[in-house]
Amino acid sequence: MNNLSVSASVPAVSSSSNPGHASHAEPPAKVTARGLNFYYGEHHALKNINITLGTNRVTAFIGPSGCGKSTLLRTFNRMYDLYPAQRATGLLMLDQSNILDPKLDLNLLRARVGMVFQKPTPFPMTIYENIAFGIRLYERISRSEMDDRVEKALRGGALWNEVKDKLNASGLSLSGGQQQRLCIARTVAVRPEVILFDEPCSALDPISTAKIEELIQELAENYTIAIVTHNMQQAARVSDKTAFMYLGELIEFDETDKIFTSPNDRRTQDYITGRFG
Amino acid sequence: MRNWWRRAMSHVVVLLCGSAVLLALVPLALILFYVITQGLSAVTWSFFTRVPGQVGETNGGMANGIVGSLIVTGLGAVFAIPIGVTAGVYAAEYRGTRLAGAIRFAADTLNGVPSIVIGVFAYGVAVLPFHHFSALAGGFALGVMMLPLVMRTTEELLLLVPASLREGALALGATRARAVFTVVVPAALPGIVTGALLALARVAGETAPLLFTALSNQFFSLDLTKTMANLPVTINNFVQSPYAYWKQLAWSGALIITLTVLALNIGARILGAERTAK
Amino acid sequence: MKGRRLDDLGFRVTTGLFGVLLIAMVAGIAVVLYTDSSAAIWKFGWQFWQTEIWDPVSGEFGARPFIWGTLYSSVLALLIAGPIAIGIAIYISELSPSWLRRPLVFLTELLAAIPSIVYGLWGIFVLVPFVRRLEAATPEWLKTVPLFSGPPLGLGMLSAAILLAIMIVPFSSSVAREVLRAVPQAQREGAYALGATRWEAIRMALFYARTGIVGSIMLGFGRALGETMAVTMVIGNTPQVSTSLYAPQYTMAAVIANEFAEAADALHLSALVEIGLVLFIITLAVNVLSRAFIWSLGQRTRPVRARAAAEAA
Repeated sequence: MNNLSVSASVPAVSSSSNPGHASHAEPPAKVTARGLNFYYGEHHALKNINITLGTNRVTAFIGPSGCGKSTLLRTFNRMYDLYPAQRATGLLMLDQSNILDPKLDLNLLRARVGMVFQKPTPFPMTIYENIAFGIRLYERISRSEMDDRVEKALRGGALWNEVKDKLNASGLSLSGGQQQRLCIARTVAVRPEVILFDEPCSALDPISTAKIEELIQELAENYTIAIVTHNMQQAARVSDKTAFMYLGELIEFDETDKIFTSPNDRRTQDYITGRFG
Repeated sequence: MRNWWRRAMSHVVVLLCGSAVLLALVPLALILFYVITQGLSAVTWSFFTRVPGQVGETNGGMANGIVGSLIVTGLGAVFAIPIGVTAGVYAAEYRGTRLAGAIRFAADTLNGVPSIVIGVFAYGVAVLPFHHFSALAGGFALGVMMLPLVMRTTEELLLLVPASLREGALALGATRARAVFTVVVPAALPGIVTGALLALARVAGETAPLLFTALSNQFFSLDLTKTMANLPVTINNFVQSPYAYWKQLAWSGALIITLTVLALNIGARILGAERTAK
Repeated sequence: MKGRRLDDLGFRVTTGLFGVLLIAMVAGIAVVLYTDSSAAIWKFGWQFWQTEIWDPVSGEFGARPFIWGTLYSSVLALLIAGPIAIGIAIYISELSPSWLRRPLVFLTELLAAIPSIVYGLWGIFVLVPFVRRLEAATPEWLKTVPLFSGPPLGLGMLSAAILLAIMIVPFSSSVAREVLRAVPQAQREGAYALGATRWEAIRMALFYARTGIVGSIMLGFGRALGETMAVTMVIGNTPQVSTSLYAPQYTMAAVIANEFAEAADALHLSALVEIGLVLFIITLAVNVLSRAFIWSLGQRTRPVRARAAAEAA
């Protein structure tokens, strides 16, 4: 019910270069967590998380406030590193690299794992510059090449048609939904492999939300997506697999269909039927 | 390759900023070091109890300067605190009105006026019409300098007092005046005192406004209508004199002023910290 | 109830009156300065600021050296202090470990609290001899450059600029620090999420806060313009217009401080007050402008929030 471009079921699994979009074949793991624990100072916020994000799949994280879903997301790109009292232990891998390795080059990690935040935060620059900012961090390219890359990125964020005539307008002059797509476009501009969405639509109106959900499904063709959302219907619409979290633990992780129709765990059942939240 | 360069750049910047901090701390250390080492030797009992006396005397002190400074600064406080606090009360209670905005703007402007200009102003208002210098004129000049600080702190603190306190008093039938002066202001009092201390610290060492208002005096005097000795101007005079002993006294005077200003600042900070700890 | 209304009105009027008093004080400064300087203004007109001979005894009043000295010393001080102040602001607000923050803030505020005369004392007895040695050690080829020409007196523009720089660093840096704090953390995280290094994210924050940073620098400039005691003790107090860093010069504030109390006659006094008036106007303009810059930074974040709020509604 939630699927993207439909091709015939392809049983091939292990090649990551052309994964099938079949709903039942297991894609190679892009991000793997084993025994992941996270602490805010003394507070044990994530307890023994084991999960895999499949390549070019959309994985949704749902659960009540404070369950740790955003915290988990932010371990994937080591965003918590900015704050000294926060630390993670355990195993967390991006393909073959250990994300938690203290010697890991964080800049390169974050170039491979991008993030879109809850509140759209375009930089106070022109639309063009917003996109170019990320690209310039890594590459020195000519103006015409940059123009190309900016256009590609804006197309990737489903924003090109709306802004192609005003690339020099300030990023702040766009509407909320457009700003969020701008943020998506600038994330896509640095060509990551994984994109993390942290409640991307909670500050937006329903029409913008629909546009972005559509965009996420398109993006899944080329990127591995993880999305945290407090909106269960959104998770059901958009994702291939869903993880339910509660009080820092991963309660259940399965195909989205299964989670929303016949979950195994009582707590999952209670949450999706609205008994608590 | 480019990535190595970016990381290196980042480290260089961190280093530069850290050195900026050190660069600023070096003069601080040097100044404190010199003031303390040069000034300490003459800080004796007689420093606090004797006047400088005649040229050539080497057992004088700066008693008149110390007392004079206390008096002139006190005069400034007497002028600035009632006006500053009351103006701050208006700005806080009637926030949003044009007058409140104008008061705030005036205070910020006044804060930026150079102290020498304030001295000229005080001269025009309090010296010229009376044809002589006086401690009162000096007190007025210092008071004008203290005004904006007192007013701003009062306003900010009154705004921090929870509305429920003010409304509680009003609901019981108190007049605005009563509510404000018996409930709200006392609630903000520690902070207002802190503000007053900081304002005092600001003017305690000021020389320029006194140069042609209170001037200076070689002798001990308590007459408010005449010139009065004060530490900063006396120090200034002694430094320019050719007498080694007076230069020594100048350092000691500087030490006393610095310690006083530091003490006022630290005291204000401690008071402020206690308040936020509550 | 009517009694109560009257009381409240009385309260408002009384407190308002004190507020008006404060405003009157500011206006009063302008009025008094203008009145007391009108004699000189009428007598000399614009010539006052274009001639360079200042000789009160013979009645010649050329104030050009003073405005030159004030601007030159303040600009030099800014060039030295600006980068340092921003560096400190960056370090304290972005780079330092949290336990170090409070002590560093305290120390910089200490620097600001030291009275001008103490700076002056230290300047005369410690800085000037040091600068004199520095100047004496200038290599011959450098001495031909006008900037470094003249006898190594120690007292002069260089000492004044250095001392002023030390004095304005804490002001500029504390405002710059506040301004950087106002940059939303979300902006920084946005930069980090793209893989920015520490410096690249800081650059972003600086860009975001650029008007405020400019404002903080201007504030320091305004402070330098009006600084009196410290400057007069180390600048040499010689009314001459010179580009040389080694030359003793004079500033507006310094000449007022030195000559006011013993002004030769009413005209002399009036001339000094005119200098004070112009100093007042210049510092007023710089301060108002700098506050406008700093304030406009706060304004920028509002449209974003308003739109987000409207969208979410």
